[in-house]
Amino acid sequence: MRLTIALTAVGLLATTVIASAQEVELDLWTIDDPGEYHYVLAEEFMKEHPNIKINVRTVQFRDMVNDLARAVATGSGPDITYIDNPEVALFASRGLLLDLKPHIEKSEIVKEEDIYPGPLASVTWEGGIYGLPRGANTIALYYNADKFREAGLDPDNPPGTWDQLYEAAKALTKPDQNVYGLAFSAVASEEGTFQFLPWLQMTGGNYDNVATEGGAKALNFWKRLIDERLASPDTLIRSQWDSTGTFNTGSAAMAISGPWELPRMSQEAKFEYRAALLPVPEEGAERASALGEGDNVILANTDNPDEAFQFVEFLYAQMPRVWNEFGYLPASQVEVKDPKNPEIYAVFEESMKYARNRGPHPEWPRISKAIQQAIQSTLTGQAEAGAALEAAQQQIDQVLGK
Amino acid sequence: MVRFWRSLRDGSSFDAVLVWLALGYLIVFSAFPLIYNIVISLQTVDLFSIASLNRPFVGLQNYREVLSQPIAGLVFWNTLQFVVLSIVFQLCIGFGLALFFQQDFPGASYLRGLFLAGWIMPALVIGAVWSWILAGDFGVLNYWLRSLGLIDQNIFWLSDPSVSLYSVIIANIWLGVPFNMILLSVGLAAIPHDVYEAAELDGATAWQRFRTITLPLMRAPLGAVISLGVIFTLQQFDLFAALTQGGPSNASNVAQYWSWQLSFQTYQISYGSVVSVLMIVFVIGVAAIYTRSTRHEQAA
Repeated sequence: MRLTIALTAVGLLATTVIASAQEVELDLWTIDDPGEYHYVLAEEFMKEHPNIKINVRTVQFRDMVNDLARAVATGSGPDITYIDNPEVALFASRGLLLDLKPHIEKSEIVKEEDIYPGPLASVTWEGGIYGLPRGANTIALYYNADKFREAGLDPDNPPGTWDQLYEAAKALTKPDQNVYGLAFSAVASEEGTFQFLPWLQMTGGNYDNVATEGGAKALNFWKRLIDERLASPDTLIRSQWDSTGTFNTGSAAMAISGPWELPRMSQEAKFEYRAALLPVPEEGAERASALGEGDNVILANTDNPDEAFQFVEFLYAQMPRVWNEFGYLPASQVEVKDPKNPEIYAVFEESMKYARNRGPHPEWPRISKAIQQAIQSTLTGQAEAGAALEAAQQQIDQVLGK
Repeated sequence: MVRFWRSLRDGSSFDAVLVWLALGYLIVFSAFPLIYNIVISLQTVDLFSIASLNRPFVGLQNYREVLSQPIAGLVFWNTLQFVVLSIVFQLCIGFGLALFFQQDFPGASYLRGLFLAGWIMPALVIGAVWSWILAGDFGVLNYWLRSLGLIDQNIFWLSDPSVSLYSVIIANIWLGVPFNMILLSVGLAAIPHDVYEAAELDGATAWQRFRTITLPLMRAPLGAVISLGVIFTLQQFDLFAALTQGGPSNASNVAQYWSWQLSFQTYQISYGSVVSVLMIVFVIGVAAIYTRSTRHEQAA
């Protein structure tokens, strides 16, 4: 008996000695490149916590889900990773992510009620909280104030309803100068779904209820913009980044996109650009906007959940800096001091209040694909909007098990 | 033991080792993935069960579900058009160029070498270049066609569902021509000159010489080029990724791209495998036709 106690004591002593000498290592996967968010903040964190070492590794955005699934399967996953917000439910539903709720309840920094409802919904799965947003983004209407003046429109009074948007696009379209009224993205990828959902939501629909009159109205509105050449037919194959590129070069007078465009816009756009909330179907209608950006999550099988949470908590605490330094919107109620582009920041901050999450659903990609197909078959004229959305609804119901 | 080493050094055992090495390689790196792919296509597999062995076996259910998807017919029809049109034009243009450079004129071999520039460029670079050429609003091709007065409205090469597949085919033809030309040049060079001389003395016209000498003697190289062409066009993925992503509305979607979309965009990996198994069956069919058609020649 005494021997056991002695041995335990020696053992304890040994572990404490080792623990203080040996630092905790955490593996972090990110889609950032060196010099960006995760790299910068991991560096800062390690300075504050010399006993914790963070190994940062870059994974391509489009490969993240595949790489992560494979790594988890073979037991070589990271401790902490970044995933896009519609993907959280996919991993959480399979028990692969650590439920942070108990940690958050003890935390002095993270308060559940501070996080905006959209970002919070994106990390919530069956009562647990499986990640913390690193920031948020959403979409709004950018417009070229110079072109507004040229066309006799008032740049202080941007289009607020769909009808006004149509009229403005019509007035701004100059086919002889290769200028379209509006640029947006209806590409057959997650980006198309991201751009379309707010239009659907503003008419009362949602991802699980697409075959609505309002949905058809929204799709027909998009179709009209393209059919009348107020937006380029290439809208169907252009990503948001490429679409906004045409706005920056002056080939489109308005563009629907998010705050991630601002760094490039400030370099490329040689005109006065402003932003406004997404137009609503009619005066006084419900507002909606898309919710983008991803979350910092901890994998369930990490060996150091406490240190991992400490780091994720540290990242969350930097929320007031993200707009100015990294180009995202804060995902919780924090004060941003001296925001860059203050007017545009105000628009996006307001828009965040209406930003709605995609899903959450573990089979989100299949739901998204059904919506993309409805968009594309309507815009190419292969199907009538109502029928296309009806077909999408059937596929979505199948996924949802209705 | 000594006998073994000796036979290994200069006898039949050495041959056997080489054969087994090759066979082992084929089994590990070709047969195994192939069979594994077939197995996956009969099970329910998603991203997270791919590494576990506990996967429900559903038999041909996956095949039924894939084939009953509304876009299945369109995708296979597009694939067929893509393969047939690509190969017909690659072969005709490639053969034409091969015959042209077979003529003796100064600089022929250098010029022929220039054609290889396209072939050695990575497909993604080619995709980027063609997407500038084919862009609807600011594309080079539309600019030329308009300057020449051939069109007065821009053609949306990549986003108009009635032309997008053909735009990818055009880019793919351009990509495949040099390869066809080089392989066929080699074949042409192997035909002895005196046969042509004799025919010419007998008064055969150029067309007759082509039809009665060149074509029959080129049968094996043409067969090889066609079967390789089928495989290469079925492999062509990057151009779709770079130009249209199968769009708009699947107007330019083909089996290989659809298989990828199913596996890695919606994570229905078994469905993706079903599509690739169907493609393999098709390739095996083409290979069988090719071996049958060339067997007579080797026997002769």
